[in-house]
Amino acid sequence: MFFNSIEFFIFLPIVFGLYWLIGGKNIKTQNLLVATASYVFYGWWDWRFLSLILFSSLVDYSVGIALGKNEKPTTRKTLLWISICVNLGFLGFFKYYNFFVDSLINSFTFFGSELSINTLNIILPVGISFYTFQTLSYTIDVYNRKLEPTKDFVGFMAFVSFFPQLVAGPIERATNLLPQFSVERKFDYRNAVDGLRQVLWGLFKKIVIADNCAKYANLIFNNHTDYNGSTLLLGAFFFAFQIYGDFSGYSDIAIGISRLFGFNLKRNFAFPYFSRDIAEFWRRWHISLSTWFRDYLYIPLGGSRGGTSMKVRNTFIIFIVSGFWHGANWTFVIWGALNAIYFLPLLLANKNRVNTNLVAEGKYLPSIKELGQMGFTFLLTLIAWVFFRADNVTHAFSYLKGIFSESLFSWVEIFPSTILGLVFFFIITEWLGRSGEYAIEKVDFINRPIRWGFYLLLIILMFAFTGEEQQFIYFQF
Amino acid sequence: MKKFLKNIIIFFLLALIVGEIVVRVTHTMSDIPQRVIDENGIQKYYPNQEGYWKGGDHKWSINKLGWPGELPNSYDNLIMIIGDSYIENFMNPNDCHQSAFLKKNMKTFNFMEAGRSGVSLIEAMEISKNLDSLKPVKTLVYVNNNDFYESIRDIKPLQDITQVNLKNGTIVYGKMKAPLFKKILYNWKLLYYFYTRFPLNNQSENAEAPIVNEAIEENNDKLKSKSEVFDLINYIKDNYSIKDKVFVFHPNSNTEIIKQCKNLGFNVIVLDSSKDDKKWVFDHDSHWTCYGHEQVAKQISNALLK
Repeated sequence: MFFNSIEFFIFLPIVFGLYWLIGGKNIKTQNLLVATASYVFYGWWDWRFLSLILFSSLVDYSVGIALGKNEKPTTRKTLLWISICVNLGFLGFFKYYNFFVDSLINSFTFFGSELSINTLNIILPVGISFYTFQTLSYTIDVYNRKLEPTKDFVGFMAFVSFFPQLVAGPIERATNLLPQFSVERKFDYRNAVDGLRQVLWGLFKKIVIADNCAKYANLIFNNHTDYNGSTLLLGAFFFAFQIYGDFSGYSDIAIGISRLFGFNLKRNFAFPYFSRDIAEFWRRWHISLSTWFRDYLYIPLGGSRGGTSMKVRNTFIIFIVSGFWHGANWTFVIWGALNAIYFLPLLLANKNRVNTNLVAEGKYLPSIKELGQMGFTFLLTLIAWVFFRADNVTHAFSYLKGIFSESLFSWVEIFPSTILGLVFFFIITEWLGRSGEYAIEKVDFINRPIRWGFYLLLIILMFAFTGEEQQFIYFQF
Repeated sequence: MKKFLKNIIIFFLLALIVGEIVVRVTHTMSDIPQRVIDENGIQKYYPNQEGYWKGGDHKWSINKLGWPGELPNSYDNLIMIIGDSYIENFMNPNDCHQSAFLKKNMKTFNFMEAGRSGVSLIEAMEISKNLDSLKPVKTLVYVNNNDFYESIRDIKPLQDITQVNLKNGTIVYGKMKAPLFKKILYNWKLLYYFYTRFPLNNQSENAEAPIVNEAIEENNDKLKSKSEVFDLINYIKDNYSIKDKVFVFHPNSNTEIIKQCKNLGFNVIVLDSSKDDKKWVFDHDSHWTCYGHEQVAKQISNALLK
């Protein structure tokens, strides 16, 4: 079930109504409803993979209980590894099996020998990368004694499968979300209204910005040899806004819906395209994944405590693993490595924490220097996005070669002025609202007629520019 | 919670009102004329209606006889034009109708159109029988393969389309399909917008869309339900005056049907778009554009003047 589908517009009010009808004091019944609704939500796509979530929940719940009872370090470590192997085993099988087989066959072919292993016709379960990381965070936190193991299986099931963020995040930490399943949820008017507003903005990002940019990004990327350099750059620009609108839109909808049910999820995007350097970009882009890798991979590997070589090694590891997390394709690995290359100079010069404040705080316009910094950072991300979007490495290099040709300075061959106008409106709205959690949060302080008029404008734009329904990009990760 | 629900409902109602205004002002949805079944069982339109086509570029109008388009100044030397949505032609302005182009090419004749989307061949013949009272010198009946199949109840009964039961030789007149629902839908523009934009069962009820029959063959040279189609042609020959009728076949019509019509003495004009580099139809609609209508009229007038 997609957030931007008719089914979901029927599903949500029913679940919302039942949830608050049960009342905040009946926590167990409410959790049961959330878990059931989440399984229905996921099963709508493919009910067969529900068993995977259930099994994953069972394993981590049991490991958590066992960790709580055991003090012996070797037993605790064994339990942790059971959880890691089961979770990453599923992820590895469904997501990476064919990739490794293909890569192995190609390597053997390269060295002149033949290897005969069959690839499998595997469907990638939607959201497996997200809920796997979420359950892993629980086990690791219990192992590290940062969290008490839960004894409420239904609550744990609801935590793992929580439908607003099940298939595309934000990847919630057990320390943040799980305790919310064991306390009374009270309906809060302001919170609910704020949640709905964030849902509205998320839908706008997805339907108007992402889906419309997708049309042109697909057209240009799929026929890149037909276009000149400036058009290819425009294609990368469209993809940059497609992926941002798509993914941050999903996060906004997920956070907003959770607030309707009295839950608070972590922020996942903080206006990343207004970043002044790559380090800032990575503090603002897919925050829940970046911090996951920081806490569960980078820091355990030694972080930046060691010498320069360790810093370089660890930076490359987390960026490449992060790239690989997105998909079983060398393009993602290169995308990760490229970001590591962008990031390293800042890290080595100890300038990776220079831009921690809000850009042009308290001002309407940025300074020339800030504008230049933002433009340069955005350009770097555009180049990296080419690898992210390309079908394969050859496609990516051919596309980049097309961009950096003489025709880069000729006029674009495609100029969809309406869509570019919408993107401009979007950028301006994001800029004006950058001090909030999401762009239109501060609209709350405007008087009602103007506020409602603005909401209606967004709704009208959504209907006027509804393109072909596109699946959320991050569902495939 | 009460305040939340109250505000949601108020906002929802406000959104409905604003949405309705926006859809009407921008003509996002075409106005759809209201239909009526006359005393002869013919579905036509309430007379003297007018409305905008999608986008508001042009208006359509229904004349006092209940057919789309303008009536001729005189009924002398009259050529009648009968057909389905291609002749109804709401998607083009009045000066892009067959009657306008034919009049340009054949100035001594007067032309009158009787078109309605969904008209089958047998219904077209029934309409022509009714309009014979105007004493036309010729009646052009625009047909495609579909019109033959849809006319035959024995192949597939269709409730809203006039058909012939070949077994007992009776005409079964079409009935209005969900008239109340359609009335609400066409007047509540926002609802109509949602209905066509997000169709239930992935099928939109679109008054302008030609009806597709399962019996359409992929290969036009290979005729399915041949005996029924030939029986229909025989039935028409035996029960209607065909001397002054001309069947105008759409491009790519089935050659066996055309041949059989010719063999039984029907006057036939076969349209051909294959030699034209320019498309006759819209990009997202199989109907003829203004250019397409002009070319069709040119081929017809050339054939008639011959």
